[in-house]
Amino acid sequence: MANHKKASQKDFKRVGKHIWELPKSFRNDMRVPVRLFGDVELFEAAFGDRTVQQLVNTSTLQGIVGYAMGMPDFHQGYGFPIGGVAAMDAQTGVISPGGVGYDINCGVRLLGTHMEREEVAPYTPTLIEALYRACPGGVGGKGRERVSERELIELVTQGAKWALRQGMAHPEDVAHTEEQGCLEGADPRQLSDRAKERGRPQVGSLGSGNHFLEIDVVDEIYDSEAAQAFGLWENQVVVQIHCGSRGFGHQVCSDYVKRLQSAVNKYNIRLPARQLVCAPINSPEGRAYYGAMACAVNYAFVNRQVLAMGVREAFEQTLAGLVENFDLFQVYDVCHNIAKFEEHEVDGRKMRLCVHRKGATRAFGPGREGVPADYRDVGQPVLAPGSMGTASYVLAGTQKAMELTFGSTCHGAGRTMSRTQARKKVWGSDLRDELEKRGISVRAGSMKGFAEEAPLAYKDVNRVVEAVHGLGIARKVARLLPMGVIKG
Amino acid sequence: MDNYFEEIEHTADIAIRVWGRDRAELFAHAAYGMACQLADPDEVDQIVEELIELETYDAETLLVAWLEELLYLGEREECIFTNFEMIEVTPTYLRAVAWGGSAPEYWNHIKAVTFSEMNISCSENRCETTIVFDV
Repeated sequence: MANHKKASQKDFKRVGKHIWELPKSFRNDMRVPVRLFGDVELFEAAFGDRTVQQLVNTSTLQGIVGYAMGMPDFHQGYGFPIGGVAAMDAQTGVISPGGVGYDINCGVRLLGTHMEREEVAPYTPTLIEALYRACPGGVGGKGRERVSERELIELVTQGAKWALRQGMAHPEDVAHTEEQGCLEGADPRQLSDRAKERGRPQVGSLGSGNHFLEIDVVDEIYDSEAAQAFGLWENQVVVQIHCGSRGFGHQVCSDYVKRLQSAVNKYNIRLPARQLVCAPINSPEGRAYYGAMACAVNYAFVNRQVLAMGVREAFEQTLAGLVENFDLFQVYDVCHNIAKFEEHEVDGRKMRLCVHRKGATRAFGPGREGVPADYRDVGQPVLAPGSMGTASYVLAGTQKAMELTFGSTCHGAGRTMSRTQARKKVWGSDLRDELEKRGISVRAGSMKGFAEEAPLAYKDVNRVVEAVHGLGIARKVARLLPMGVIKG
Repeated sequence: MDNYFEEIEHTADIAIRVWGRDRAELFAHAAYGMACQLADPDEVDQIVEELIELETYDAETLLVAWLEELLYLGEREECIFTNFEMIEVTPTYLRAVAWGGSAPEYWNHIKAVTFSEMNISCSENRCETTIVFDV
C-alpha cells in the first residue's frame, strides 16, 4: 500500500543557511533524506501544496544517491515536484519519465544584441508584431518548418548540428548550447509513429502555457567578469526564448509513462505514486526511454534554434536601415526538463549518475568539462526567467553547486497560485493594459491564458535568486527587465 | 453538464474532480471537463466525428488513453471534442463516438493527461476520480 504520511515543518531540520532536511527515518520507504533549498518564506511555502509529499515519494526511487532535492522555486507538479533534482546511480538506479516531465527539454535560450535600449525602444511595438508573425505560437501552432519523416529522424539524432547543416544556425549558436545542442544516445527506433507524426509539422513553434518570447534590457550587472565573458553589458537589449519539444516530446513522455507500467511489475519496483513510473536504467525498457527522450531533447534544441532564426529575421525586417547593427548572437541555451548521464563526486568517490532535473537548470561551475571553452573560467550561464512582466536573471554555475546539488540550480520563479485562483484575481485585458502602461509591448494568444500567467501567480523571482545566490548554487551575473512580451 | 465535474486547486497545472452514475458517464464527463479547459464548449462546432476504440490493461490507463486520444485527434484535426456517445465501456475496453469542431477562441493547451492523483472509484451508482492535466 502507498504510504502517504504527511510531513510538517517540524519534521525538517535546518542544516545550513537556506538548507532544510527531512531525515530518511521520516518514512520507512525513503532511501535518502529530502532537502529543500530556500529562505524561511520559501521553505514555509512548500507546505501549501504537495511539494514535500512528492519529494518524499521521489526519495524512494531505486538507486537514488545523496538527497531528493527541491530548488528554491519548487512547487507541486506530478510525480516529481517542479524544481526537483534526483540523481540515480547509473548502474543500479532507475530512470523515470515522470522525473523529466511531458515537455522534455523545455528550456531557455538567450540571444544578445549589439544595441542599447534607446536604439530599440521606438521600434519595440513593431518588433513585437514582427516576432509574433515570425515565431508561431499558441494552441496547436504549426511551426516555421514542416519536415519529412526522414528529415525528422536526422533532426532528432543530430540536434543543433542538423540545423547547422540546413543553414538554420551559426556555428557559435551550436557551441553556446548545452550539450552543443545534441544529447548523445538518441535512438529514433524507440519513437512511436504518433510521436513522429506530431513532431513533423511543429519545428520552430513556441506553443502555449508558460512559453514566451521576450525582448529585455540588461538592467543591472552584478559580476562584470562573467557578464563580459557572456557578452552582456548594462543597457544592452537581449531576447529570451522559452519553449520545449512541443507535441513530439509530450507524445514521447505519454508513450513511456504507459509502456513502463509493465516494467514496474516486471522488475518488481514498488512505487508510492503511479506517475513516478520508471525502469532500471540498464534494462531494455530504461534504455528505450532514454533513447526516445534524447530524441525529444534534440528536437527541443532544434525548435529553439529555428525560432532564433525567426527572431533574427524579424529583427532584420524591422530594423534594417534604422540601426547600425541588428545582428543577434547566442549567449546560451539551457535545458530545464531533462535526465542526463554525468559524473559527480559522492562521498569522496566519482560516480556516473543519471541526473533528473525537472524544472531545474544545470549549473556547472568554472573549469568543468561540458562548459563552453569561452565560458570555462567563469562557469556556465544559467538562465532563470521571471514571471511575465517581472525581472529575469542570468546567473553563472558554481563549484558549490557541484558539491551541493549535483551541479543544479533553480529554473525561474516557480508558481505559487493555481490557474483558477489567478483567473479569479486578474483579468487578462487589465493585466495587458497595466504592462503596456509600464511601456512593455504585449502580444498574447488568449487573454484567459494570459491571466493565468500573471506575476501574482508566481513566487518573487528576486527572492528565489537571492536564495540561490546566498546558497552559492549559482551566482548573480545580470538582471533583465522586459521591454516586450509574446506569450504563446 | 457543469454539475458533473469541478476544478480543484493545483499550483501549476489543471486538476478536476469528475463523477458520473457509471463508468461510461464518468468517461464522457471527464472528456467534457477536459474540453471546458480548452475553450467554451457552447461555441464549438459539431462537424468532426471520430469513432474511438481502445483496449488497455486497467481502468486508469484506459481513462488516460481515452483523454489523450481526444487530445491527439484534436491536434490532428484542429478541433475540440465536446459531445460523446459511449457505446461500451468496461474497466479495460472502450468504444465511443466523439463529435467536435473548431472554437472561435482557444483558452489553454493541455500537453498531457497524467496519472497523478488518479484513482477511479466506483460504487453502485457513482463513479469518480481526480484528473491532473499538464498544461
